[in-house]
Amino acid sequence: MPTIDVSLKDVSRLLGTTVTAEEFDDLVLFAKGEVDDVNGDEVKVDLKDTNRPDLWSTEGIVRQLRGIAGTHRGLPSYPIEESDVRVIADPALRNVRPYCVNAVVTGLSIDTAFLSQIIQLQEKIALTFGRKRREVAVGIIDYDKITPPIHYKATSPSENAFVPLGFDRPMTPAEILREHPKGIEYRHLVEGSDVYPLLIDSKGVVLTMPPIINSEHTGKVSTETKNIFIDVTGHDLETLKVALNVIVAAFSERGGTVHGVTVEYEDGPVKVPDLTPRTFTLEKDYVNTTLGIMLEDDELIEVLEKMRFDAKVAGNALTVSYLPYRNDIMHANDVVEDIAIGYDYNTMEPVVPQLFTTGRTLPLTTTINTARELMIGLGFQEITSFTLSSNETLFDRMRLERPGDVVEIENPVSLSWAVLRNWITPSLISFLSKNTHRDYPQNIFEISEVVSIDETKETMVDSRYKLACALCHSSTNFTKVKEALDAFMRNIGITYDVVAREHPSFLDGRSGAVLVDGAPVGIIGEMHPEVITAWGIEMPISTFELELERLLE
Amino acid sequence: MNDVTQLIDGLSNEEKKVLKKLSQQGGGPASVSSLEDEGLSSVAINRAALGLEAKSLISVEEKTKTHIFVTPSGKELQKDVPERTVGRAVLEQGNSEAFLDELDVDKKTSGIALGWLRKRGWATITKEEGRVKIMLTQDGIDELSSPSWIQQALTQIEDATMGIDDLSPDQLSVLKGRKAVETKEERTRSLSLTKKGIVVASHDLLIREEVTQITPELLRDEAWRSCEIKRFNVEAPVRRIYGGKKQPYLAFLDGIKQRLVALGFTEMRGPLIESEFWNFDALFQPQNHPARDWTDTYRLICPSHGHLPPEDVVAAVKSSHERAWRYTWQHERATTLMPRAHGTCLSARQLFQGIDVPGKYFSIARCFRPDVLDKTHLVEFNQIEGIICDPSLTFRNLLGILKQFAREIAGAEDVRFYPDYYPFTEPSVQMSAKHHDLGWVEFGGAGIFRKELTEPLGVDIPVIAWGLGVDRLAMFKLGIDDIRYLFSDDIQWLRDEEMI
Repeated sequence: MPTIDVSLKDVSRLLGTTVTAEEFDDLVLFAKGEVDDVNGDEVKVDLKDTNRPDLWSTEGIVRQLRGIAGTHRGLPSYPIEESDVRVIADPALRNVRPYCVNAVVTGLSIDTAFLSQIIQLQEKIALTFGRKRREVAVGIIDYDKITPPIHYKATSPSENAFVPLGFDRPMTPAEILREHPKGIEYRHLVEGSDVYPLLIDSKGVVLTMPPIINSEHTGKVSTETKNIFIDVTGHDLETLKVALNVIVAAFSERGGTVHGVTVEYEDGPVKVPDLTPRTFTLEKDYVNTTLGIMLEDDELIEVLEKMRFDAKVAGNALTVSYLPYRNDIMHANDVVEDIAIGYDYNTMEPVVPQLFTTGRTLPLTTTINTARELMIGLGFQEITSFTLSSNETLFDRMRLERPGDVVEIENPVSLSWAVLRNWITPSLISFLSKNTHRDYPQNIFEISEVVSIDETKETMVDSRYKLACALCHSSTNFTKVKEALDAFMRNIGITYDVVAREHPSFLDGRSGAVLVDGAPVGIIGEMHPEVITAWGIEMPISTFELELERLLE
Repeated sequence: MNDVTQLIDGLSNEEKKVLKKLSQQGGGPASVSSLEDEGLSSVAINRAALGLEAKSLISVEEKTKTHIFVTPSGKELQKDVPERTVGRAVLEQGNSEAFLDELDVDKKTSGIALGWLRKRGWATITKEEGRVKIMLTQDGIDELSSPSWIQQALTQIEDATMGIDDLSPDQLSVLKGRKAVETKEERTRSLSLTKKGIVVASHDLLIREEVTQITPELLRDEAWRSCEIKRFNVEAPVRRIYGGKKQPYLAFLDGIKQRLVALGFTEMRGPLIESEFWNFDALFQPQNHPARDWTDTYRLICPSHGHLPPEDVVAAVKSSHERAWRYTWQHERATTLMPRAHGTCLSARQLFQGIDVPGKYFSIARCFRPDVLDKTHLVEFNQIEGIICDPSLTFRNLLGILKQFAREIAGAEDVRFYPDYYPFTEPSVQMSAKHHDLGWVEFGGAGIFRKELTEPLGVDIPVIAWGLGVDRLAMFKLGIDDIRYLFSDDIQWLRDEEMI
């Protein structure tokens, strides 16, 4: 979800009418935008649709709002002048970054608001639509400083040194990847190839080294710039054409004249940008049955034109045309949504579906709730804690060796939340350690999911519910917690045995395994003083923990 | 007369005893201590006095008296005032001045004495070639020849011939400053019978045996009938006890679960650790989508990769991606494991496992995203969401179901809908609901699952997917402004939180 800054004055000038922050707030919904923050003239807008780069600029929002305001309806018109500008693509780039598409825009008068939109749009396209420049990288070059034809060529890492943006000395491509901040940030996109992509003009002037960095000399646009050359590079020609179209459409909205460029590939020339309208046909009935409203033909066409489509109806066939700065229309529902937005969600009467179904919780939920009631009836306070824990909590402080097979996070935010717990008791002890200044007794329990590695499972991990409880007061001991276990087990109708079993977390001679039909289903014991004091507690603790879900199966 | 009998019936044994004693002492005023005896402790007298005063049978006068005591260091001072000892030792040298090291005084005494000699203006202290020299002043010489008021006062205080009122404020502060005395306030009560009390006390105040605890024995042989059952002060505060109860946030979620079941939804479940396949791929999120990047989701060291569902569904998902998103779908990437980042994977699994038509499903799923734990973020959270499946469903139904949630769960009648975007739904909508106390709150989102999602999972009817954001509602209900309290580790908060 890209967030962009727009100037209300700039929006107002382009729309030809003054728009206040409140009005903008209401209008921008039609561009799936939401105002995040207003600071005087500056407005921060979240644009929710990650597949609509055409909306990620003042120009794109204005295009949509003109339709809503009714000043411009239907397809926008962005004429493209023919030109003889050529870009020659080097087949040697096939395995690193094969495609490049371009356009020339002339007659621009760039003010600061426009300039900041150019930079912002270029960044947002590369970041979100271009997946952090991997799929799409954009360069804007001062056209007056270069001489066509332009070569999109493979350079060896040590040749064609040029001065990259922000530096004052020529550097080879290899040096840029090693030393330039952008080189370091994006070098993974070209590393591994023995050639790197470079745009260089007929006189040997370097424009840019995509997708890394522009040249300081040609690749710097300012309010002085009148004419520009756009380069968009990546791996998929269709994706690049969309990105290029988004950019030239924005420049057209600002009054620039767009000139076509011929990119010559090994297997033939490609003329870009291509803003020939695309069409999509769907059934008119489908629109109405999907939305649950009845739109007449003229209403449908009006709503679509408001959303900057052209539309015509022939029988049940609704054919919409749109300009290919959009490539998000993959299915009829993509058109249906635009119709709904244009119609306005809030004018549709909500209808609760009359579907008879019998609701139910999982059988497990019912039995867990019974177990909770029993524990509460036995005087235990229910708590809930995080599944994420740490090796220190789960093992070190419990006098256990760290096992090799815990479910562990590779990129934890903090070491405190790096392991998914395999037992709950440590979380209870941690809880007690936070409450040493509170009244005792502190008798608590938790029923939660724990995980353990299980190679028979689809996701290699078994997650299941366990019950753990702790008695913490001056006279608790093994017997007290066994009484609680006994009461619990009798009430769920399960016959069990407790057999002596030593466990490092518990006192020797005061711990046991809980067995049902000879199989271990839990542990019970009086907490080892070293565990208690490691947590800074000065009160005896006795606990049991049961495989609740397995018991109830 | 009837009134008096009733009044007497309402008196406890203790109260009767106090009335009798007071009457014996001529009706008072009498101090509490003068009323004490074997069967009547001062605690009991004070307790009875409160009751009797409330019944206007006695009047109580409270007095505060300050006692003064000589402390252990005061007793030392009584024997010997250090500055006097040193002063006398100087004079014994035959002159009004002397070096400290010439005197036959122990170090402890001299250490204390030097300060006081200077402070009281009895001597000037100088240093000559590293030696301390004491020069007595005329004041000092005069004082040394007269007896010490400090010693006299301490002796008299100890003899109780001098009270605090006999000391001047200056003297008291000197004695306190030298930690020679301590004072202690004592509140004394003196009780007197009122006119009404005199009348009551003139009656026969029968004192019967009092029982505090009803015992099985008393019940068995009916002995309780012949004894006086001690009257409790039922208005007195009691010790706090804490029973077991539900965790308040879980209780809140229980309520939501109940509402959803009442609305006809069936609960779903899925594993805590998911493959990217179910978490993203099956939900039509392309593998190169920025939200799948490393910083926005967790990955596991161990185990790092899992298995995929049967080949036909994997192939269908793969081709759906490749057709729409124009990239080469990676099998390996889809097997990458992660703690589930949202509950929608449960809906995808449900679609794959098979659905009832019509069908309504929900889950309250624990989800994980890499956030730092603070006032507004949790490291794990519960996501409430689900699906509705039926051939007849429309976009207006989707708005209807959201509005129904707003009414049934948030108690809100007014709602507003906004266009929204989710990779897996189209059309998509977000709803704000006007909550009675919170105002407009973002409450839920929904959309119709994309065909590119449902078809590979074998479903060819409209499926509405919805999600509810109830944390703000929960925080309001629980009266908290720190989201961490949803998973509170403060037992007192859990104990004190109201459950209704």
